[in-house]
Amino acid sequence: MKLTYLLIWGCMLAFGSSAVWALVWAIRRGEMSDFKAGAESIFDEEEPVGRPTDAFPGARP
Amino acid sequence: MSAIAVSPEAAPDVTADYVTRVQIDRSCRQTVLGYYASAVAWLLIGSLAALITSVKMHHPEFLGNYEWITFGRIRPVHLNTVVYGWSSMVGIGTTLWLEARLCKVRLPHRALLPATVIIWNAGVVWGVYEVLAGHSTGVEWLEFPPQVLGIFGFVLLVLFWVSLKMFNQRHVHHTYVSQWYLFGSVVWFPILYSAAILLPTTGMVGGAAWATTNWWYAHNVLGLYVTPMGLATIYYLIPKVTGKPIYSYHLSLLGFWANALFYSWIGTHHLVGGPLPAWIITLGIVGSIMMFVPVTTVAINHHMTMIGKFHMLKTSPTLRFVVFGAVSYTAVSYQGSLEALRSVSHVAHFTHYTIAHAHLGMYSFYTMTMFGAMYYIVPRLTRNEWSSVPLIKIHFWTTSLGVLAYFCALSWAGWYEGEMMNNPLIPFIKIVDYTKPYLVARSLSGSFMTIGHIAFAILVFRILRSSDVSMIGPTLFTSKRGMMRWRRKEA
Repeated sequence: MKLTYLLIWGCMLAFGSSAVWALVWAIRRGEMSDFKAGAESIFDEEEPVGRPTDAFPGARP
Repeated sequence: MSAIAVSPEAAPDVTADYVTRVQIDRSCRQTVLGYYASAVAWLLIGSLAALITSVKMHHPEFLGNYEWITFGRIRPVHLNTVVYGWSSMVGIGTTLWLEARLCKVRLPHRALLPATVIIWNAGVVWGVYEVLAGHSTGVEWLEFPPQVLGIFGFVLLVLFWVSLKMFNQRHVHHTYVSQWYLFGSVVWFPILYSAAILLPTTGMVGGAAWATTNWWYAHNVLGLYVTPMGLATIYYLIPKVTGKPIYSYHLSLLGFWANALFYSWIGTHHLVGGPLPAWIITLGIVGSIMMFVPVTTVAINHHMTMIGKFHMLKTSPTLRFVVFGAVSYTAVSYQGSLEALRSVSHVAHFTHYTIAHAHLGMYSFYTMTMFGAMYYIVPRLTRNEWSSVPLIKIHFWTTSLGVLAYFCALSWAGWYEGEMMNNPLIPFIKIVDYTKPYLVARSLSGSFMTIGHIAFAILVFRILRSSDVSMIGPTLFTSKRGMMRWRRKEA
């Protein structure tokens, strides 16, 4: 059972600390400074906000 | 139509963004289609194994003379083919495509990655053979022999490396929420997987400690591997298909980090009532209830993003499947949190109720989302369009109604089964008789879902095969004819 505890706690610590590390990294890089720009980052000039894209590639919906 | 050869200078109506996107899609073509085609083949095999297993539940004599397909072997074959064959392969394909799109880089290692498709398939084939031959490890979700699990581990490390490489070479400033989820999946799962195969399958632990590790792993597969891939897909596809950014971006990030911090606690709720220290199980229950936080953020976001766009469910196959998956995610997560409570587990544990819950998660949420993803991604990779609207409709209605019927029948049967099992005055055979009609309903709804899978496999086969023609318009549910405006591709 000791091994299991060690494994589970070790992994939970690894998962948790990786998440915290990623959060600190993201805040330092300014990832959290502009949520609107973040949400719109998957759109571009050719597939802008407001244009549905469930169409054959190359064809304009 | 072959836009890759066209530069923005040569054709003014083609933008640089478009060319970049087409180049990225083309770089993914061989690898992602390899994963997808294999995934669909495993889905069919997994469905067949599921049907045989299901029929054996109400007609135990069915194919009873063949030792290779006795219940104890064919049931793990179903589980492992749908988890490591279908779910993993479709998930890996989608992950690679999404990462390339999100980082705006072409897929690297285009010679190595198609080889991982072959390696992964060989692993599943070997594992299935060993289980059918009676050499299962007996550890649920890890029935394949350790050597096969080592093969999967190798491919997962390659994916980890490729993901890091793409992220390092990214041409975007911002890290989108889907990228965070995908990172969760590719970083956490290899750690979890190595830890899990190290202990139970090597005999280093036994008894209650084995069960603890087993269920801690099995539940984390859902939360740290499958769920992140599903949510990453939903967070990308709903905004892209509707053209509407996520309703609340900060809630989406809060949801990711809450999931990251709470999920790895919760596996031990599978052992409520088991011979374990009470605090271990209580910890699992506390973690399960804390999952209300990330699930609520996701539910609010998906619903509010869809507001004003629900009419598109009529016309977009992708959106219909993905939104079905998103709604199911909310349902299955809330249900799972409540199911972890001791009072609910007291009835639901060891009954068909749990099986219904598992299918609501792995099928209704994850599989339906991945069907939606394939409807969006495959035409972009093959430069062809889906060939038949009726087949897409058959696929949607048989799978969605099939899984709903499955869920309702087994939830009802399971709950009353649990209530009756808690009453010592009721003979066990009476409980078995009570559940029998519901088990027949399960076989029927499973057959319905399998019909949908066959329709989908035909669609995938056709779109992969037709290389010389392409369609101009999208295949939408409202299209009047199955076969739309075909045109011959330009050389």
